[in-house]
Amino acid sequence: MNGAPKKFAIQAENISKIFPGVQALNQVSFDLYPGEIHCIVGENGAGKSTLIKILSGFLKPDRGEIIVDSQRFKALTPHQAQTLGIQVVYQENILAPTVSAAENVFAGQEKVGNFGLIDHQKTFEEAEKIFSSLGVKLDSRMLVENLSPSEQQFVKIGRALALQPRVLILDEPTAMFDKQEAEAVLSLIQDISQRGIGVIYISHRLEEIIDIAHRITVLKDGQKVACHDIKTEQINLDYIAREMVGREVKFFQKKKQTKKGKVALEIKNLKIKEAGPEVSFQLYQGEILGIAGLIGSGRTEIMKAVFGAGQKLKGEVSVAGKKSQIRNPAEAIQLGIGFITEDRQKTGLALNLSVIKNTTIVGLNKLPTSFFNLFLNLPQEKLIVQQLVEELAIKTPSLEQEIRFLSGGNQQKVILGRWLFKNVDIFIFDEPTIGIDVSAKSEIHKLMANLVDNGKSIIMISSEMPELVAMSDRVLVIREGDIVAELRAEEITEENIILHAFGVKN
Amino acid sequence: MGKPKKISKIFDRQILFLILVIILLSLVFGSINPKFLTWRNLLAIFQQIAVLGIATMAMALLLISGGIDLSIGSMIGLSGVVICKLVMIGYHPAFAIFIGALIPIGCGLVNGIIVSKSKCVPLIVTLGMSYVYYGMALVISGGLFLSLKGHFTFLGRGRVLGIPVPMMVVIATVILIHVLLKYTRLGRRLVVMGGNEQMAFLSGINVDRLKIKVYTISGAIVSLASLVLVSRLGNVLADVGSGYELEALASAIIGGVTFEGGRGTMFGAFLGAILLGIVKNGLNILNVSSYFQTFTLGIIIVVAVVISNIEKIRA
Repeated sequence: MNGAPKKFAIQAENISKIFPGVQALNQVSFDLYPGEIHCIVGENGAGKSTLIKILSGFLKPDRGEIIVDSQRFKALTPHQAQTLGIQVVYQENILAPTVSAAENVFAGQEKVGNFGLIDHQKTFEEAEKIFSSLGVKLDSRMLVENLSPSEQQFVKIGRALALQPRVLILDEPTAMFDKQEAEAVLSLIQDISQRGIGVIYISHRLEEIIDIAHRITVLKDGQKVACHDIKTEQINLDYIAREMVGREVKFFQKKKQTKKGKVALEIKNLKIKEAGPEVSFQLYQGEILGIAGLIGSGRTEIMKAVFGAGQKLKGEVSVAGKKSQIRNPAEAIQLGIGFITEDRQKTGLALNLSVIKNTTIVGLNKLPTSFFNLFLNLPQEKLIVQQLVEELAIKTPSLEQEIRFLSGGNQQKVILGRWLFKNVDIFIFDEPTIGIDVSAKSEIHKLMANLVDNGKSIIMISSEMPELVAMSDRVLVIREGDIVAELRAEEITEENIILHAFGVKN
Repeated sequence: MGKPKKISKIFDRQILFLILVIILLSLVFGSINPKFLTWRNLLAIFQQIAVLGIATMAMALLLISGGIDLSIGSMIGLSGVVICKLVMIGYHPAFAIFIGALIPIGCGLVNGIIVSKSKCVPLIVTLGMSYVYYGMALVISGGLFLSLKGHFTFLGRGRVLGIPVPMMVVIATVILIHVLLKYTRLGRRLVVMGGNEQMAFLSGINVDRLKIKVYTISGAIVSLASLVLVSRLGNVLADVGSGYELEALASAIIGGVTFEGGRGTMFGAFLGAILLGIVKNGLNILNVSSYFQTFTLGIIIVVAVVISNIEKIRA
């Protein structure tokens, strides 16, 4: 990496992208040299994946240009990106599990022999060549479903290399790996860059970034905060973590602290994974307990286990001081626990059904009935829902409206109304305001504050730092399935949360 | 919110639309052959569609709760064969009918248990079970015609005040299942489970038990269909019920019930069955060959499914 002015492998100039309600990227410029490892860091929602998707042609930028080979593009299509030699290895599994590693490597550009038939021998040999050039021992005839996660990652990388890219984009390639596996992937990436391929590397693990990066770009709320050259600057983890956070907290009004009551929910030695850690925590009456952590840190899994909707190997749950068995959601609800899921469309709502049916489903047994408790009193049900709709200011043209036509904020209020009608005492919110516009957000926050004022208790999983800071009485930070920090009062700052979530501070 | 309102109106209108089509078809058939629009023929149509109408209720109930049962036809056959066999070897007809009525209920229970406990796709499970039940019917009957020996004709051929009994049975079934679905907690839970099973589970509904229940109830409805059919025919082969599962499925879909579950009404599904019945009867009266009838029915089914899916294509 020395010598006169070098040509960039890829360059992006002043890229902007707006999603409904969010400025995902704002005038971000980015460049990459051949043979360079350029890391991008930032919190959830900082704009990392948007940038990658624009570079690989899956999203069209609203403004800005992409420059490859001195050609300027307003936007790339996925096909263009491929032919220009831009390859992405995504975090998710995009391999065909029932097919051999070699065939996965060459899927879409099969090695063909006589009569246009696939030459399996050649396919296996070529794949072995790629793997051995990576220094990876891998039987290319193995079915992908029989490979370990890290081996599958190698297949994905091999697949990208088979296309002889000039730019290789890696989105959290080590996210699911233990240390040893992660190191194997890292040394492989360094090897790849030494062949002159430019690597864009995204990871939540700051330690490994410092190890391999030539340059580090920090994104925050869609803006480029800084671009550090490791060779010329002395960089430490703390400094970068601070840069990722440093934003003014204006959006959210700080909830006033509530008086702490008795223990509403106690979890002791909860274990959800073989070889996973055991966690214990308490939730007090009248408090909002924020649960922070990166996506994939196991926050949701822990709370699902508490609610009886996820795997639980061992652990003790006490509700209001009483030891309780929770084997399924029905038992959790019986004990006064409600769960508001992160994915409204998939697990929160029956989209085809009316506002009424979506509201009363949990509290069906509380509805007035007639004729020996046999028939539901539908007019009464309508009145009850009408009342909730007014109380929560839900905007819907009619109570019979199919719920999918409501806005995200109003849908979330219907779900909240569902648990209010059931009158549970403990609310578990998973990302309470995800995908909701700013004004509806603050309404939801007010409703939550009201709940704890009235003696209810809330567990709030959130990826949104300002929300955690503004709403929580206490924050637990989860990292790799374990509670790594408990923050109170003044300790609840974005910086603290980030430092613990990324494992910089212990 | 202008557009959503329109769409929901179209759904309200689907039943109206069906009624319109039915009236229009009747007028067309009637103008070509005046015999079609006689009171006699209309009652005959109802008598013919009674079994399909009842079977459609079983299928629609399952579809709305997110399931399906392709073994309905085989269940009818098995039940019919058992009833006749018992009568032929000398048991009292009432006993034979009692046992025969229990069989589809048991079949439904078994289907429900397999579907809910195995978490397999109900389409495949019940397709497999349809062979199991049909095979049992073949073994019991030895592949031969079995006869009721003239017993038990009231349910299938009787009339009260000039109205065919099967017609009363099917109408009663439609009303009963409608009430179950709309006005009871069980029905509401079924609709929600069909709308989103995961959400139902997270709302504290015991999804497994509910599935077993709905398959069993649907089996009970099938048992009614089987009794009406056997009583009307007086003698049966093992394949007496074959084809009912697909026609019931078609009727339900024509009537606005969807594969995705959660949506549709019993009245709509019943209108679907009536439409199929009228087309069949009309084509018969017009002396259209049965080969061409099959072709026409197929066209109608596909057109109905495409129409009910139009909204999705647009979106």
